Amino acid sequence: MSRLRLALGFARRELRGGFAGFRIFFLCLALGSAAICGVESLAEAFLTGLQDQGQVLLGGDVSVRLVHRPADAAERAFLDAQGRVSETVSMRAMVYARDGQGRQLVELKAVDERWPLFGSPRFSPPQKLSDVIACEDDGVCGVAAEQALFDRMGVARGDLVRLGNATFRLMGALTKEPDRVSTGFSLGPRLLLSSKGLAATGLLSPESLVNYTYRVALKPGVSIAGFRAAATRAFPDAGWQIRDRHDAAPGIRRFVEQLTMFLTLVGLVALGVAGVGAGQAIMAFLDRKRADIAILKAMGAGGGFVFLTFFLQVMAVAVAATALGAAIGAALPFAVVWIYGEALPVPPTFGLYPMPILLSLAFGLLSAVAFAVPPLSRARDVPPASLFRDVVSPARAQGQNFYRAISAAAALGVMVLTLLVAPSPLFAAEFLLGAVAALALLRLLAEGLRRLVAALPRARSPLLRLALANLVRPGAATGGIVTALGLGLTLLATVTLLSGTINHQVSGALPARAPSFFFVDIQPGEAQAFDKVIHDFSGTSDYQRSPMIRGRITALNGVPAAKATVAPDAKWALNGDRGITYAATPPPGTVITQGKWWAPDYRGPTLISLDEAIAKGTGLKIGDTMTLNVLGREFKGTIASLRKVDFTNGGQNFVLVLSPGLIDKAPHAFLATVRVTDDQENALYMAVTDRFPNISTIRVKDAIAQVQGLLSSLADGVSAASLVTILAGLLVLAGAIAAGARARIYDATILKVLGATRARIALVHLIEYGILGTATGIIALGAGTLAAWAIAWSILDVPLSFDARAVAVTVLGGAAATLIFGMLGALAALSVRPARRLRSS
Amino acid sequence: MNDPQMDNRPYAGELPALQLSDVRLTLKSLAGPVDILSGIDLTVEAGQTVALTGPSGSGKSSLLMVATGLEKPTSGHVTVAGTDITRMGEDAAAKFRLGRVGIVFQSFHLIPTMTALENVAVPLELMGLPDAFDRAERELRKVGLILRTDHYPGQLSGGEQQRVALARALAPDPRILFADEPTGNLDSGTGAGIADLIFALNAERGATLFLVTHEESLARRCGRVLRMADGKIASDSASAP
Repeated sequence: MSRLRLALGFARRELRGGFAGFRIFFLCLALGSAAICGVESLAEAFLTGLQDQGQVLLGGDVSVRLVHRPADAAERAFLDAQGRVSETVSMRAMVYARDGQGRQLVELKAVDERWPLFGSPRFSPPQKLSDVIACEDDGVCGVAAEQALFDRMGVARGDLVRLGNATFRLMGALTKEPDRVSTGFSLGPRLLLSSKGLAATGLLSPESLVNYTYRVALKPGVSIAGFRAAATRAFPDAGWQIRDRHDAAPGIRRFVEQLTMFLTLVGLVALGVAGVGAGQAIMAFLDRKRADIAILKAMGAGGGFVFLTFFLQVMAVAVAATALGAAIGAALPFAVVWIYGEALPVPPTFGLYPMPILLSLAFGLLSAVAFAVPPLSRARDVPPASLFRDVVSPARAQGQNFYRAISAAAALGVMVLTLLVAPSPLFAAEFLLGAVAALALLRLLAEGLRRLVAALPRARSPLLRLALANLVRPGAATGGIVTALGLGLTLLATVTLLSGTINHQVSGALPARAPSFFFVDIQPGEAQAFDKVIHDFSGTSDYQRSPMIRGRITALNGVPAAKATVAPDAKWALNGDRGITYAATPPPGTVITQGKWWAPDYRGPTLISLDEAIAKGTGLKIGDTMTLNVLGREFKGTIASLRKVDFTNGGQNFVLVLSPGLIDKAPHAFLATVRVTDDQENALYMAVTDRFPNISTIRVKDAIAQVQGLLSSLADGVSAASLVTILAGLLVLAGAIAAGARARIYDATILKVLGATRARIALVHLIEYGILGTATGIIALGAGTLAAWAIAWSILDVPLSFDARAVAVTVLGGAAATLIFGMLGALAALSVRPARRLRSS
Repeated sequence: MNDPQMDNRPYAGELPALQLSDVRLTLKSLAGPVDILSGIDLTVEAGQTVALTGPSGSGKSSLLMVATGLEKPTSGHVTVAGTDITRMGEDAAAKFRLGRVGIVFQSFHLIPTMTALENVAVPLELMGLPDAFDRAERELRKVGLILRTDHYPGQLSGGEQQRVALARALAPDPRILFADEPTGNLDSGTGAGIADLIFALNAERGATLFLVTHEESLARRCGRVLRMADGKIASDSASAP
């Protein structure tokens, strides 16, 4: 105890002079902790916001959604008995400007007079909802649309627009729709109108793809669980999808959770990079403290005591750094709201969240122990005499196994903690393993680079020789820089390559095979006429029209879908409504992998041709049964064949194709796809939308652009996050350069004495940092390509497309950063007066 | 690397090797300005061997730095072989030293990442000489280190390091060699060996030698002995009665 007190006293005395020797160590740890605490705090604020405002975001305590049909009288009576009910009807449709030229696919939402049960919509200019959607005496009703519609169609407030058979007046822009986030992905701007207005359009038909949503504000005494149970009991076959306010926007929640996990892992990589820097900073610090250590030892202090004294100092700094980082991170939600405010889809709930703070402190301190103990232990074992040696031949001693074990235990602690808090431990484990493997690979390559440079024949030019020698001199930071900056650049290269690959898949890979248009809601009565329009149009090809009806898979071999064991990558098929088609003969391009297609005249019990990937994910085989719910009616089908479905071709890809006989009796519309030459695209768009105002025409290019927009914002966000890692890498670089400053000033002084000009000395640094930065960039590009290839191959299942941007970002970025920091550091060596340096030695 | 000044050195035997007129050096310190050199007037003729002695802090090393252009005087003029280097910038002074001025330090000041041979070759390479390594090897042979050419400074003893430093200073065949306490960090036996080498090699080249030392025995081997005290030349054997 007294030894600890004494060590504490010594540590305090050492720290009296400030943190000067620990600047890089402090900054590295603070940055890593701030990143983790910031990401986690922001996520908590958003998730709490989702929870707190679940009612507003969902628009009720519960929401019940039906496809194709409204609730029947009994169902509606049941809902009305549970509380206040608001009905909204949503569908896609084309809206036309009055001049007949401007037209736009919109996401219609028709609301009743009770909507919204919670929250309120906002319009620009400000006005009441009832005024916006009111109908005038001449039958023209008002609508409000998102600003995008005004921009794309070139219409203004007060203009008249046509929707189906009715005319509407644009009353203003819809700036806030309280339950917008619960509706998910959209292909066009929202158009808000009244139920009465929608009825006038004639767009509603039993065949149309329409969603009817009933939001219920439950009466006192009715619980959510009670509602769910009663609804399932009373209408087991209703086929409705029930959601509640505890999970108002599951898509957003999952997105926030997944993104948080990923960003936290990125934060951990930053902490890892910081750790490498911290380790170097400790070594540099001990280098400066050699005399102190030697004096302590000469006066009788044991190795353990010396270790304890310096360990306490390091940990004191680590506590201060992680606490500062946590404080900055905890303030991030406030900053985000201050900057983005109204633009956020979910308002975060302010607060100090203890978990993120504790988590970042734990991560920060464990990393500090993991990275600081090995260098500290080396000092412990170095005999006092060798501590006096100069930089020419620094003492080398291996740390004891005990200290290595402490370091390993702390590193293990970081990993266990990560797995404990990650929503997908498997992904987190893979990511961590990948990061550790990348770290090991970079260390290996750094050592390889060092050996390669050392093995090069001695350059004849003294400047090149000195530059190369600087890379391999004892105590050179080459390894640390390649590893630390390299890890950040590797992550950046991986993200850049993957985002390029996904982008290429979405845009580049598609046009060759993908249709130009999707036509939705082609009514049975107009199908022939529609076919004729397409066939008569020049430049069209690959026309395909299929019946489509929405339905849900409710059971697999009699086991309810919710209880079936399903692989994660097949869950989506059981989640909500799927498009179902039927066909007598295999549609063009069908590849049967197992079983047989039914006879063309088959009209017996329903047979199913199922996507083989979903069959694999659900464990279904030929002869197994699936229960489907279509329009509130449940029926069973037997799997007759499995098909290969290529979702990357962008065409009609039905998971389920049924045999005719039963399904074709249900009211349904058709889905059509067609490819058209680029120069005819607009003409076909105008021709179809002129002739069939009720058909939703989706231009694939527009949809792709929208998906690309989303992906690119996501990629930008992730790239921005990986910049934290780069920043950590730059700190390490700065630290390494600062640590080597003494040796550089010495070299520069001697060269000046021997007659070298500053330009020549600057050239030495330019060569050295140019080689180091470029090599680090190339190594990182290699490691990043490997990581991106592995992810593309194993997770995305697409070939990696190599992107020149990645080369530019990684290699040029690495070289530029190293050169800039290196040359800034070299300024000190260039500006030092030889006389001053010589006098001090 | 194209500074072929070896064959057109601009000064001839008549010009003094070193001339200092009213040279003053004042350095700033926390306690206020400190006068290091207080009006030095000195002329060293070409080919002379001069010893500068005096107690610690008397300004010996500062005088050497001013004389070599490593430090700018606060006032006065420094002329080396007829060229006024007083107002030369850092780079101009560096270029001037190249091939003209050799310096040996007490702490050797070798470049730790270079071998003995490479250290000696550096000034020759900076001058752009194509046979830099051959000449460096010859110099190392002269100082008895031909078997140590591939050794790094860290692998050499103090005496060996100083011999490398001497070879490096003399390799470009300078007209004036400055040595600042060249034996100060060596034991007496090794120091004596180094001193012998300095005098022998310098005599062989006929260069001017300007030796800063506090060892009387070493000073006595020079043709002229200057004694410094408090930043001034207190005595000069050349002007002694």
